[in-house]
Amino acid sequence: MLEIKNLEVVYQGVIQALADISLSVPEGKIVTLLGANGAGKTTTLKAISNFLPLEHGRVTQGSITIGGKNMIKAPPHEIVRRGVFHVREGRHVFSALTVEENLVAATFAHRGKRSRKDAYEEVYSYFPILSQRRNQHAGYLSGGEQQMLAIGRALVADPDLILLDEPSLGLAPLIVADIFEIIARINREKKVSMLLVEQNAVIALKYASYGYVLENGRTVLEGTTEDLSANEDIQKYYLGVDTEAA
Amino acid sequence: MSPLQLFIEYSIVGIAAGGIYALIALGIIVIFKASHTFNFAMGEMMMLSAYFFYAASVTFALGPALGLIVAMIGSIIVALIIERVAIRPMLGRPFIAVVMVTFGIGSILRGIVGMVWGPNEVQIPSILSRSPIFLGDIFVPGKTARGFAIAVILVVALIAYLRFSRAGVALRAAAESATTAYSMGINVRNVVAFAWVIAAITGCISGVLMANINTLTPHLGLVALNVLSVVILGGLSSISGVLVAGLIIGWLEAITGLYLPTEFREITPYVLVLIVLLVRPTGLFGAKEVERI
Ligand SMILES: Nc1ncnc2c1ncn2[C@@H]1O[C@H](COP(=O)(O)OP(=O)(O)OP(=O)(O)O)[C@@H](O)[C@H]1O
Ligand SMILES: [Mg+2]
Repeated sequence: MLEIKNLEVVYQGVIQALADISLSVPEGKIVTLLGANGAGKTTTLKAISNFLPLEHGRVTQGSITIGGKNMIKAPPHEIVRRGVFHVREGRHVFSALTVEENLVAATFAHRGKRSRKDAYEEVYSYFPILSQRRNQHAGYLSGGEQQMLAIGRALVADPDLILLDEPSLGLAPLIVADIFEIIARINREKKVSMLLVEQNAVIALKYASYGYVLENGRTVLEGTTEDLSANEDIQKYYLGVDTEAA
Repeated sequence: MSPLQLFIEYSIVGIAAGGIYALIALGIIVIFKASHTFNFAMGEMMMLSAYFFYAASVTFALGPALGLIVAMIGSIIVALIIERVAIRPMLGRPFIAVVMVTFGIGSILRGIVGMVWGPNEVQIPSILSRSPIFLGDIFVPGKTARGFAIAVILVVALIAYLRFSRAGVALRAAAESATTAYSMGINVRNVVAFAWVIAAITGCISGVLMANINTLTPHLGLVALNVLSVVILGGLSSISGVLVAGLIIGWLEAITGLYLPTEFREITPYVLVLIVLLVRPTGLFGAKEVERI
């Protein structure tokens, strides 16, 4: 589905954010990207969806292929239309638009044959709370509801791959558990591949099947999530397990 | 005529002018929403449209109906060229730089019209019937009344279109965040071009109406300066606020003209704007930032 090889990214011509990232997301799988603040997780996603030029960033080395096609040159709205939807860090719902208008906005990326109405209804069936709020301004939604709406917009577009940047950010544990259950259902039922960036390594390793660890813009460790969960460094630095005492 | 009748007649004429102000303001606001650019060339776009109408209907003898269609097409093409050649390359530049560019475009358009059609008044075919309308005892000049009706119908139709259509959603989405709009698959550049097309349409109709009610000279576009107060009063970001703001400013100007020396007509709208801004910095209808804390 997605294949990244030796990716290097530079912001403003001088700030190297990624040095050497290689990873792949197989069809229908959830792959997670772990790493400390500033490791380059968000930058990796921006390189895929090609938001870098909007922030004076540039891919200087390496390749990104989606479904076998090199995507580095395509403008961001084209990439969405080709089936890669980026749910950005911090949700970014259109606060002055209603919930339903937010979904309407995502129809510009809509590719499937089903009608727009069906697409909205599908979102409401995954997130019934949004159905009750459909005519409210999205700015008045709770953080959890905004995250649901951000994922809902991705559903409207019916993508092959969803890039999810920290869906748990700032949300209460119960809500996070709910949202991840739905993410897993979407992955299963709609066969959407996902590249999941998370600070919450416990939950990321639970739902993903494969994972990569980023450090200073490099992929330094990879493996199945079972292997990663058993890894001592991961336990120590990401899962907060005190291995010394054990 | 009794003072009350006089007041009512001036009010009606003022409100009628305000309908056209609202139409012009709508063109300015739509562009502002799409690209955060203030289009100071709006008045000249109107003026140029009116000359297109003159050229098509009189010079090429196509008559008013076909002339209007030709003028509309010409206006849209000019707007798209301006957007493509002068505005798009300025994307991401400081607000003031882009505003200066629109100023420059305004001067260029005025210069071109002056060269082609000369500085004096030209006579355009009337598209509005002159026969007055009486509301009871109150006399309403025919052109003013019909011009008002056309302007208001168009404003309301456009407001509804931007409220309920997908294109309207794309415009409002791009207004809130271009980056997020891109991430929805919205081609923001097309949204900006779409906004210029809307501005060309409102500019064309308001230009032809203005030229019908007053006269057509290369200075027709100066009326857009009065519209500045409408835009600020309504709140730069509020599409639906323009109508009320336009009517208020039009009325205020007329009433000022009735009771005060004419010079004050230019001043009172801005005094009102100042007072409103002191109380409500976002204008009468400008968006309070919808945000949860
Ligand atoms: N627009 C930008 N301009 C310049 N440097 C940037 C920009 N965005 C990110 N960086 C830098 O690139 C590096 C990687 O940032 P990135 O946002 O990808 O990290 P992250 O892993 O997502 O971190 P977090 O967990 O805090 O979200 C950081 O050093 C950051 O300062
Ligand atoms: Mg990040």
